[in-house]
Amino acid sequence: MMTQIVFYVFAAVLVLSATMVVCARNPVHSVLFLILAFFNAAGLFLIAGAEFLAMTLVIVYVGAVAVLFLFVVMMLDVRFAQMREGVQRYAPIGAAVGGVLLVELIMAFTHWRVAGNIGQITHLVPSSPTRTNTAALGDVLYTHYIFLFQTCALVLLVAMIGAIVLTLRDRPTGRRQNIDRQHDRIPQESLEMLQVPLGAGVAAQGGFLRPHDSYDVAAVPGTYGTEAWRAREAAEQTQTALVVITPAQGAKGQDDE
Amino acid sequence: MHPVITDYLPVLIFGCIAVVIAGAMLGSSLLFGHQKPYAEKTSAYECGFEAFDDARHRFDVRFYLVAILFIIFDLEVAFLFPWAMSLSRIGWFGFLSMMGFLGVLVVGFIYEWSKGALDWD
Repeated sequence: MMTQIVFYVFAAVLVLSATMVVCARNPVHSVLFLILAFFNAAGLFLIAGAEFLAMTLVIVYVGAVAVLFLFVVMMLDVRFAQMREGVQRYAPIGAAVGGVLLVELIMAFTHWRVAGNIGQITHLVPSSPTRTNTAALGDVLYTHYIFLFQTCALVLLVAMIGAIVLTLRDRPTGRRQNIDRQHDRIPQESLEMLQVPLGAGVAAQGGFLRPHDSYDVAAVPGTYGTEAWRAREAAEQTQTALVVITPAQGAKGQDDE
Repeated sequence: MHPVITDYLPVLIFGCIAVVIAGAMLGSSLLFGHQKPYAEKTSAYECGFEAFDDARHRFDVRFYLVAILFIIFDLEVAFLFPWAMSLSRIGWFGFLSMMGFLGVLVVGFIYEWSKGALDWD
């Protein structure tokens, strides 16, 4: 009794949400109704005893395929007004395809015969108190149905290669990480060790310098360094009429030392 | 009653309670809340300035590629669960069958790695 109630609730919500997938005005809402339909289908699988399929449906379809559908909906750049215009034009084609499908389904299910000895085929028992549904699947999937299983691997391989071939474009301008080059770097290429005289600080050597250009070059003149350092340097330049060391010369001087 | 249903009865009750609580929250805010929508209030909020554009932009196809590659490996892992459950019964044949399956997918994995499909600029 309980099972029947649960079945009818799941089935009714499934049919209603599947109808809403087609009828919803907003494609994003359609995808959300599709997720609801997936959840209810998982409930129906559970009632049928197909525990593993129910969980796979939730993980794969809700977790991944629905996200993919959302991507597609976002990527299509749909204009709802334009989409409405197409409905009238494509309705006959859609109705024809749907009618053919319906006729085929009726033909398939009216000629469906269940084998009389289905109870005796032990490996078809979905689950029992001694063997869970997942174990029952595993017992036959990898040995009895090995051909279908390996075909499945090839289908996945084709999907992988197809997705890469269709969507991956080489971008020459892209700043892609070159991991080998990054690992080959050594500190000496980017760092320079300086002998700083005691008490003089690095200001005497022209401030902090990078190997090939100092921050002075990049920064707006007079803005680099602390306030005290700028004041002291300005005082030095006015008091001692030394040759003004440009930052480039300063950098060279560092290399010589 | 099927044994699976009795196993999952707590999940069903949990789901029913979740639906009731969510419905109560939404329904009561719909019933008792003051709702005076106007164009300014219902417009998209973008940190104070006017919305530049519609949110429905095309975006890079590489997001799609990452999602597809994720689904493929997701399915691969889904196949591993029943195999792990019944490995003691299906023997070497079942083990090698799965190794063949994994080998085919490793070929694809090497391909996508060497093509740089897993890199992001």
